[in-house]
Amino acid sequence: MLHYLLSRIISLLLSLAVASLVIFFVIEIIPGDPASFMLGLNASPETIASLKAELGLDQTPLIRYFDWVSGLVVGDFGISYTYKVPISELVVDRIQVSLPLALYALLLSTAIAFPVGLIAASKRGGTADFGIMGFTQLGIAVPNFWFAMLLVLFFAINLRWFSAGGFSGWDAGFWYGIKSLTLPAIALALTQASILARVMRSALIDTLSQDYIRTARAKGLSQRRVLIKHALRNAMIPVLTILGLQFSFLLAGAIIIENVFFLPGLGRLIFQAIIQRDLIVVESVVMLMVFAVIVVNFLVDLTYAMVDPRLRRSG
Amino acid sequence: MTLLSVSGLNVSINEEVILKDVEFIIDQGEVFGFVGESGSGKSMTALALMNLLPKGSDRTGQIILDGKNLIDLSEREMCSIRGRDIGMIFQEPMTALNPVMTIGNQVAETLIIHGGYSRSEAMTIAREKLARVEMPPNRFSPDLYPHEISGGQRQRVCIALAIALRPKILIADEPTTALDVSTQAQILDLLKLLVKEEQMSLLFITHDLAVIARMADRVAVMQTGRIVEMETTRELFQDMKHDYSKKLFAASNYIPETKTKTGGGSFLEVSDVYRAYKLPNRRILDKQNYNVAIRGVSFSIRKGESLGLVGESGCGKSTLSRTILGLDPLQKGRITVDGVEVISGRKMPHTLRKKMQVVFQDPFGSFNPRHKVGRLVAEPFHLLAESLSASEQRERVVTALLEVGLRETDVDKYIHEFSGGQRQRIAIARAMVIKPDLVILDEAVSALDVSIRAQILDLLNELQVQHNLSYLFISHDLTVVRAVTDRVLVMQGGKIIEEGRTDRIFDHPQHDYTKRLLQASPRIPTEWVTKETNQGYHTGKLSEKEFR
Repeated sequence: MLHYLLSRIISLLLSLAVASLVIFFVIEIIPGDPASFMLGLNASPETIASLKAELGLDQTPLIRYFDWVSGLVVGDFGISYTYKVPISELVVDRIQVSLPLALYALLLSTAIAFPVGLIAASKRGGTADFGIMGFTQLGIAVPNFWFAMLLVLFFAINLRWFSAGGFSGWDAGFWYGIKSLTLPAIALALTQASILARVMRSALIDTLSQDYIRTARAKGLSQRRVLIKHALRNAMIPVLTILGLQFSFLLAGAIIIENVFFLPGLGRLIFQAIIQRDLIVVESVVMLMVFAVIVVNFLVDLTYAMVDPRLRRSG
Repeated sequence: MTLLSVSGLNVSINEEVILKDVEFIIDQGEVFGFVGESGSGKSMTALALMNLLPKGSDRTGQIILDGKNLIDLSEREMCSIRGRDIGMIFQEPMTALNPVMTIGNQVAETLIIHGGYSRSEAMTIAREKLARVEMPPNRFSPDLYPHEISGGQRQRVCIALAIALRPKILIADEPTTALDVSTQAQILDLLKLLVKEEQMSLLFITHDLAVIARMADRVAVMQTGRIVEMETTRELFQDMKHDYSKKLFAASNYIPETKTKTGGGSFLEVSDVYRAYKLPNRRILDKQNYNVAIRGVSFSIRKGESLGLVGESGCGKSTLSRTILGLDPLQKGRITVDGVEVISGRKMPHTLRKKMQVVFQDPFGSFNPRHKVGRLVAEPFHLLAESLSASEQRERVVTALLEVGLRETDVDKYIHEFSGGQRQRIAIARAMVIKPDLVILDEAVSALDVSIRAQILDLLNELQVQHNLSYLFISHDLTVVRAVTDRVLVMQGGKIIEEGRTDRIFDHPQHDYTKRLLQASPRIPTEWVTKETNQGYHTGKLSEKEFR
């Protein structure tokens, strides 16, 4: 187990190093230099020169890379060119929306997908299975922004249960914050839950045809107990893989939903930064997201080993 | 005293009749055997007793266990019977245990679900039960996972969890078919001992007559869902009444007609071959460890000769065949075919590859299911120096199919349309289509039913005589090796420990290991084999009709 953990940690660090190099040098090879790119076509040579000095572009790339990375490590992401505030402040603000939203959506999707997948698998070929397969198909096909608009129309405009958009912040109270994230989380969870339920169903059906399920039945376990005690854990590997991918996606990929609900999340931050050519923000936020994805994958790897003893000894 | 009485048992799955009017009685403490070929309904009978038949099955009749008719019981009531009154073990120990649960927990589970035991009590009893199947806790911790123990040990765990509550009857469905001969012998001994000491009855299902002869007090022979003959074991073997039983018996001892061989010089030369695999390191900076699969093996095969290769799983048989075919590189030594050296990988000349072909155990797994038979059999044509036109290819494929007893129209069929024996014929046709000189038969008849096996052995024999082929016959089944080979190599731990003429090795083995291997191999007692039972089937080839 220690060996497995060590090898996962090494792989985590290597991935981070490679990702940071790629992000840094991709921005480096943009034609011209970052300063003139950021300032656009009409900038005067003097402004460009002063920005260059401000950004430290007169140094060699290698030194700048190490400056950037060592800044990242201590949480110093630099100063946003457009907002003129430390990027770390921007990120902290935005993460307070994006992270809870991603977790909320993931929780909803798991809470829906697990029982639904279990029912579909245990009643395979029955009416319930048929209905679930149809609904999940629909859930995958419906674009989430359209579903989001329907939610707003129904729950915010007609019933007035929720506000149509915006984020009140956490200062007003936990439940207040949760309330303003509910509709976006549901909109995001629909597709994710549909995918997850289908993966769950097929993974369970796969395991239910295994020999050890027959052994368990021969011991006297009921159908239901076999499903919960023997099939579920064995079906977890594909489900965990999808969960990991979904979390990464939800963290960064909620741009459209954030726009529909006017949420100040990470997705909108990076979207605006790209439009405003704020390369420093782009670079840092992309790195942050890569970090999140890699860490989530690391955690998924660890849960694999918890679920399946066969993975614990291999590297 | 009667423990289980089954009468008028009919089972159909999706309207197809699977069991017809099955009727038998098992006494307390008795070992009752079911024997028959695949599809005869042996396993279905067991599953019908347990009410674990596949979806869409319909079951009628009476299954009286201890005065209760199991057919009338609800699923809930059946759950309390399974595992407590009836225990069951299955064929595939490798997959029969839950990979994410410790063996101790899996044994304890039987005790917990039937109530009356707390977790810690159940674990204590589980430890005792594991010790009972010769897996004592001081050598095999109950915290081990199934992947950490061998196939034979896993089967022991399966037995432990099946007998944990001392069921009245234990059903064993081909429990040793997937195991080596020596492991098989140990498991069979263990089962016999447990049945006696725990005073259980045993319903033992197998396709292997020799195994049933060793195990059962009484035997039922099954054919297409019916019991065709039921006798005490000794009587059955000495005085078979039903034609099918006789056929089955003859086929399992089948020896193809002695062939007249042309003979010839040495064809394959293997000298001092050595092959090791890298093992994964446990820690990152550890020294690289190796698993030496073959250590210094030398032998030769003459033209037209059949050489047997026997040994337990993991002894290096398959690695050896792979290195001969050039699929695996050598670390040391030399292999020559017709004087030309075998080099692994892309450098191996096509002219050399063309001389060797291989037939594997699993006839279904070794074909691409999306190609038609014509294309499958034509696969080796790329090894030929000259390219053939489409019509020439077809002609040669058809010739090969006819030669193995199939029809011309089979060219346009898919592999799933054939039975196991026919698939193996196609595999042989694929090997034969480019007229090789050496065919490696890697457990080629092991998965086949005895009557089909007899036909395939005949076919191989015929082809050998016709084309002066050399065979390397790899098998764990000593009976078959004895029947079809001229010489035998016995392999253990990557080395050849004994080598010689087949009759000499089997009648007068020298090495201890060979002796043990032969000892463990189940045999029908010779005094049971009468002239009458040994005749009839054996005289000539089987008619075409019989396998169609």
